[in-house]
Amino acid sequence: MNNKKATRGIASLLLALASIVYVSPLFIILFNSFKSRTYINLKPFSLPNSETWVGLENYIAGIDDYGFLDSVGWTLMITVGSVLAILLFCSMFAWFITRAKAWYSRLLFMLCIFSMVVPFQMVMFTLSKTADTLRLNTPWGIIIIYLGFGAGLAVFLFCGFVKSIPLEIEEAATIDGCGPISTFFRIVLPIMQPAYITVGILQTMWIWNDFLLPYLVLDQRHYKTISMVIQMMRGSFGRVDMGAIMACLVMAVIPMIVFYLAAQKHIIEGVAAGAVKG
Amino acid sequence: MASISVRHVYKTYPGDVTAVKDCNLEIADKEFLILVGPSGCGKSTTLRMIAGLEEISEGEIYIGDRLINNVPAKDRDIAMVFQNYALYPHMTVYKNMGFALEMRKTPMDEIDRRVREAAKILDIEHLLDRKPKALSGGQRQRVALGRAMVRNPAVFLLDEPLSNLDAKLRASMRTELTKLHKKLGTTFVYVTHDQVEAMTMGDRIVVMHNGVVQQVDTPQKLYDAPCNVFVAGFIGSPQMNFLDAVLNKDGKGWYVEMNGDRLYIPEAKATEGLNAYVGRGIKLGVRPEDIYDDEAFASANPDWTLDVSIDVSEPMGSEVFLYLHYGESTLTARVSPRTTSKAGDRLSVAIDMSRVHLFDAESEDAILN
Ligand SMILES: Nc1ncnc2c1ncn2[C@@H]1O[C@H](COP(=O)(O)OP(=O)(O)OP(=O)(O)O)[C@@H](O)[C@H]1O
Ligand SMILES: [Mg+2]
Repeated sequence: MNNKKATRGIASLLLALASIVYVSPLFIILFNSFKSRTYINLKPFSLPNSETWVGLENYIAGIDDYGFLDSVGWTLMITVGSVLAILLFCSMFAWFITRAKAWYSRLLFMLCIFSMVVPFQMVMFTLSKTADTLRLNTPWGIIIIYLGFGAGLAVFLFCGFVKSIPLEIEEAATIDGCGPISTFFRIVLPIMQPAYITVGILQTMWIWNDFLLPYLVLDQRHYKTISMVIQMMRGSFGRVDMGAIMACLVMAVIPMIVFYLAAQKHIIEGVAAGAVKG
Repeated sequence: MASISVRHVYKTYPGDVTAVKDCNLEIADKEFLILVGPSGCGKSTTLRMIAGLEEISEGEIYIGDRLINNVPAKDRDIAMVFQNYALYPHMTVYKNMGFALEMRKTPMDEIDRRVREAAKILDIEHLLDRKPKALSGGQRQRVALGRAMVRNPAVFLLDEPLSNLDAKLRASMRTELTKLHKKLGTTFVYVTHDQVEAMTMGDRIVVMHNGVVQQVDTPQKLYDAPCNVFVAGFIGSPQMNFLDAVLNKDGKGWYVEMNGDRLYIPEAKATEGLNAYVGRGIKLGVRPEDIYDDEAFASANPDWTLDVSIDVSEPMGSEVFLYLHYGESTLTARVSPRTTSKAGDRLSVAIDMSRVHLFDAESEDAILN
């Protein structure tokens, strides 16, 4: 009994330490974003005091000098567009290949799994070349590319979920007067809600934070995502404005944290639902 | 106006599995027809072909006068109740029941009226706002029935609707379904592998085996005059006893012989057909209740007795099952609870030869019932 308690105590302690290690960079960024840039380099780990405090100056610089707000707009548009496309098309696709017992169903499923195995670095140069040729170098075009990269995982998760839905429910819908389209939208889609949430969260976080793909594909004269802007603050100017970088990082991370906290409850539900039923 | 006619129907699944072979059924309007048989015999497949969930490989199915081979499920005017209920988990009971009408663009007030009417009959009015996962098995069952009822279908198709319920609930749902059938006046086709359900609920029973319809008849006829060994063994519990015997004839009349014992068939029961089997091996079928262990019956019918020993005696309260050892085989007898016989006894039992069944040893078809 005592032994058990002790083990628990140690476990809690270790986990607490781990979470501090995980969260601390966020806090370091947060309070550095309120310090003047010289002090960020000099005393990166100290809290802001009356001497170092500059208020919102860094934030204003980030927004005014580097076009941060534009990049937020583009990132938002790409993320929302890609995630919606992935959710809609992949769930329909997964439903089809799971239910239609055609010879190519299995093949298509395998292709999707295979696409998860191929590392991005292996295809990135051919991809960016092809994207240029096909004029996919716009935020609208990149949605198609994200759809392709997101499909593997999404189809895999959706297929697992569809398999857990009793076929009889769809047969009952057929008898009640549903065709394939209305069966999907009125019966299958609402039942799959937990899967949509899980896939949606995973894809949103990845696409929002992604740097390499938009960097390679997008036409940088017109469109920049948040990660691209932040990277350019470091590289392309003579000076490195650490203050503005810190401020932009905070502004880039906040939406994701809010989103994650709001969706957190569902992601656990979704994963558990899939696990128990599948 | 919803008779169903199934004519020479075959079903072959991919991979050359023939699930149903040359199925012929004439189901009358308002009839309660039961499909029964062991697992995998093609009951569900037959039902699903009527429902339109499974393509018909060969043959024709009519509902009323209409050939429905190529009519989609939703236009066949049928409703189906599934074994696992298949309720829509994201809709309330009310929505579940009204969904089919909604899909048919029925006016809202009409949907409301019919859902409430069905809910009243099934006594689930207080559950209308709940989701299926907040219901018990019996309640889900009722909702599934209600969902079928609101559409006023010409035919109800039910695939083992009671098999997920516990024994007590099943018994009460059985009588309720029978009542419901009377009240609705609709044709019911009901799949089960429970013979109590089959015997108590159906107007007629279809016994299937390996995809082939064996016999279609009323419950009592099926019990009294099974057409072959399979039906005889399948209907009735405990099972009918089968003994390998030889049929013959002497001065006293027809008799069956095994292990040197002769049992004489009463003259009134014997038919012309027996002549073809003189001296040949047959199967003798005896229902457990046709074996008597009391002295009085045995001494009154000395031509019908066998010497046996009792292996096990199972008192069931209202009756006693005796497992008898005779020659190489075991016989089950259902006797009065007042019996004095007990395990280990050797005694003479009498078989009521006026009630026995004879079957061809090879084809297993009935020769004499
Ligand atoms: N989709 C399918 N593909 C291939 N074979 C199938 C398919 N569905 C059923 N079968 C086969 O057809 C035969 C009849 O199946 P069916 O479901 O009609 O049996 P059943 O009488 O309803 O049995 P149970 O009492 O177990 O429900 C079985 O041998 C089964 O294996
Ligand atoms: Mg079945």
